[in-house]
Amino acid sequence: MLDKLIRCAASTVATATVAGMLASAPVPAKAGDVTVTYADWQLAQDIWGRSLREAMAEFEKQNPGIKVTTDPTALSHRDVKFTTAIRGGAGPDVFALDVNPVKQYITNGWVKDLTPFIEAEGGEAFLKDFYPNTLQPVSEDGKFYGIPKNVVAMVLIYNEAMFRDAGIDKAPETWAEYREAAKKLTKATKSGGPVDQWGATLVLAKACFDLRFSVVLRGFGGDFLNADWDESRLGEPAAKEAFDFVTDMILEDKTMPPGIAQVDCNGARRLLANGKVAMIFGTMWTLPEVNGMNPDLKAWDVLKMAHVPQKTVDDKSIRSTLYQKTLFMNPNTKNPEAAWKLIKFLSEPKQMQRWFDDNNMLSARRSVNETYDPITSSPFAATVTKEIERAAFLPLIPKWPEMLEAFRQNLQSAVAKQKSPEEALADAHKQYQAILARP
Amino acid sequence: MRDYYKGYLFILPAFLLLLIILGFPAVAAFLQSFNLMWVATPSFTLGSYKALASDPEFLTSLMNTVIFVTVVVSSHLVIGLGVALLLNMDLRFKWLWRVVAILPWTMPDVIGGLVWRFMFDTLPGIVNSVLLRTGISAEPIDWLGNPTLAFLSVMLAESWRGYAYPMLILLAGLQAIPRQQYEAAELDGCSAWQKFIYVTLPNLKHMIIIALVLDVIWESRLFGMVYSMTGGGPGYSTQILTLLSYKQYFQFFNVSYGASMAVVLATVLFFISLPYLRMSMRQQL
Amino acid sequence: MRKSKQVWIFIYAALGVMFVYNLLPFFWMVISSFKTELEVISYPATLLPNEFTTGAYEKIWLQEGFLLYFKNSLIVSLSTAALSSLVGIFAGYGFSRFRFPGRLTLMTAFLATQMIPGVLLVGPYFKMLTIAGLYNTLFGLILAQTSITLPFSVWMMKGYMDTVPIEIDQAAEVDGASRLQTMFLCIVPLVLPGLVATTIFAFLLSWGDLLWALCLISEQSKQTITLGITQLVGQFRVQWSEIMAATVIASIIPATLYLILQRYLVQGFAEAAVKE
Repeated sequence: MLDKLIRCAASTVATATVAGMLASAPVPAKAGDVTVTYADWQLAQDIWGRSLREAMAEFEKQNPGIKVTTDPTALSHRDVKFTTAIRGGAGPDVFALDVNPVKQYITNGWVKDLTPFIEAEGGEAFLKDFYPNTLQPVSEDGKFYGIPKNVVAMVLIYNEAMFRDAGIDKAPETWAEYREAAKKLTKATKSGGPVDQWGATLVLAKACFDLRFSVVLRGFGGDFLNADWDESRLGEPAAKEAFDFVTDMILEDKTMPPGIAQVDCNGARRLLANGKVAMIFGTMWTLPEVNGMNPDLKAWDVLKMAHVPQKTVDDKSIRSTLYQKTLFMNPNTKNPEAAWKLIKFLSEPKQMQRWFDDNNMLSARRSVNETYDPITSSPFAATVTKEIERAAFLPLIPKWPEMLEAFRQNLQSAVAKQKSPEEALADAHKQYQAILARP
Repeated sequence: MRDYYKGYLFILPAFLLLLIILGFPAVAAFLQSFNLMWVATPSFTLGSYKALASDPEFLTSLMNTVIFVTVVVSSHLVIGLGVALLLNMDLRFKWLWRVVAILPWTMPDVIGGLVWRFMFDTLPGIVNSVLLRTGISAEPIDWLGNPTLAFLSVMLAESWRGYAYPMLILLAGLQAIPRQQYEAAELDGCSAWQKFIYVTLPNLKHMIIIALVLDVIWESRLFGMVYSMTGGGPGYSTQILTLLSYKQYFQFFNVSYGASMAVVLATVLFFISLPYLRMSMRQQL
Repeated sequence: MRKSKQVWIFIYAALGVMFVYNLLPFFWMVISSFKTELEVISYPATLLPNEFTTGAYEKIWLQEGFLLYFKNSLIVSLSTAALSSLVGIFAGYGFSRFRFPGRLTLMTAFLATQMIPGVLLVGPYFKMLTIAGLYNTLFGLILAQTSITLPFSVWMMKGYMDTVPIEIDQAAEVDGASRLQTMFLCIVPLVLPGLVATTIFAFLLSWGDLLWALCLISEQSKQTITLGITQLVGQFRVQWSEIMAATVIASIIPATLYLILQRYLVQGFAEAAVKE
């Protein structure tokens, strides 16, 4: 009934607009050629995009008859565009996602079940090179919906030169040390001028909030949800400690830059690149990004990595958060075979190596991280690989995007002094319970 | 007139165009809000509407929308009328003033939001730079990080961007006022203010109502300015309904809930503007 | 009308305030776009560039394909403005000059379509477009944007036409003109400023649209400029100077369009008043 209605309206549009269609008819592809669209927000960025486009050219050469068109939809537009298109029966054939919305895509049927393809490649044998936890976000009821590409954990990144100037000789291992270091680093660089250098910055804007605040919460021994992701842990003392720690640093110590509510990950990197802050939470990608923003900083020499600070040095629990980029196939694709070839190609060890060379990113394949020389000899890779063992994904449940935003809004309200930190955290806790209680 | 039925022919193209393009989507919007479309298991429920009543974020956003629209539309009408009056005078370099008056309106709202966000940026923004350099403020002011200031900033930016729309409508109205009426008023010894009250305003009433209604609708469905300026923050202190329903719909994937918010907004808007619409219809001829 | 010197001083002072208020964001936008990547984020900000560079423009123009976006935006916005103004003239005339049953309901219904946020409409419309084979065509986007601009155009045109005395129609009828002739030859010339305002409005609305352009176009080469700019913001490593350069580029066309059309905004009405 509904479909009939759509069809009726649509055909009216169609007949009324033949002229328009003729004017804008697409150029037909060469006979026999199959075109696959690949969407990835990283295509929109200089180096990552170039690296990906080179990979596509190589893929086309290896697979005559398959053409790849690229779709560089920005991260902030991604879900709007993809979900509208996939619901409407279109959309890119292959696309990349971070883990936050993955479970929504799976439950709504917006990604294709890749199990048959994996089976055809040898099933277990095909998957065994991937770290077991990288398969966690992409599997549901024994089916696999995506192929992991890169995985990293968040670490502390600091400017060693600024540390030395402030008389700090080693990276902070505990939050107390972190706070002390931040105090020493915050100052006016011109005597008599306003304070224009700060110890650290967090990310409180929407973009990238997920990975950066979570390490503080986890570093204090707390977390958003319990291990089964069905109960809020925001009522625990650890959550309160982490929450107070951050609000105190911003409001009392003033060791984070003013206007922090608008700082997104790009802003945080920019502050680091220009010597305005000495510490941010980041990971492998931070180095090439910061280096690109301000080559004069000599990021590769000056910036160092350390593990996420903890409450006490002997704490052995989870303290960091995993980031994963995964490749998915659109259920509407007309060329699933070609799409699978592209996914397989991009997740091959050789492409993963290229991804490290160009973008300093670690692979989701054990064999690449453990045997590729540039990776095994990189001190940055060593720190991050070690941190992966102490890191976990954020909750892999469909309600997560909403819960993340609820938390962020409350934290922002506390920083804006709209609510007291106690109230804000209690509100977040209550909202979590309410969201979880919903069917 | 006798040939009133011909009116249907004149509006037919517009009617068909809107029906074909928006007819189905509008029906679909309602279906979505009742959980009947684009959800895993469609079933009729009023659950979304019930949940709205006790959702503090929704109620705050509704309140924000009301304040935002009221303040912005009033400032648009006041500034718009003022500027229209100025532009209607025999000015030197008239074209220059006219161009300057309308420039803000030529900027798309998403982009206007970006520019204003950068102006109000705590560190490299021009507003703080001027305040610091002139010594008015010793510390940078966190314009978009303070709930009250952020809300004021957004309203200021939208007042800037959008007043030209009512202004143009009013300017056209001003130009249609017959000069004889002013001359007659002058003969009666009216002051400038009296002429404004007794000649200008009554003649303009019809245009003011049109500008008011269109601007209210326009500002209520505004999205881009707030989206790119504050994203609704800090917290949700600058969040307006369109932003919240966008988030629910596209970010949290709560289709039914996002749709029900939009339907509530549309209904409220409809009933608010209805009397004005009727008034505007009765006004003329 | 004579005004005293003080009144004129006040008038020009008011214009001066408007001048500063209106142009400050443009000033900041242009200044920032000529700063170096480092200077644009220096604190406190410099009010004029210490070092003048056009690097941001080169980058935007060469790398980001803005020339193409520019062209697409122009096609879409001009078509939308033309379509919605043309259809708007007819409907405006119909509503202004005929008293038919259901007139009020129809007019209200027209405007009511605009009370539903685009967020909800874009999905179903997308589905219609794919079935009609118009997905990822500028034409599909033009239709969508026309549906947004049209109700406003109709209302504006009706408002302007209402200001033209009905006697003009009656005179034309006596002379033997048909309704169509009356509309195009007598009424439209008299509401030319209104028509220009309506067209500009539709153009700007279409030029600034984000959601529809984002969802209905899949290929980058068919993207519009407003979308292109917002794409920049979410990107890694993009600097304020580049974003500002892009906004300058995106503002040039609408501003120029207005510059060309502004003189038409004042013609016509004076004549209408005289004929009365």
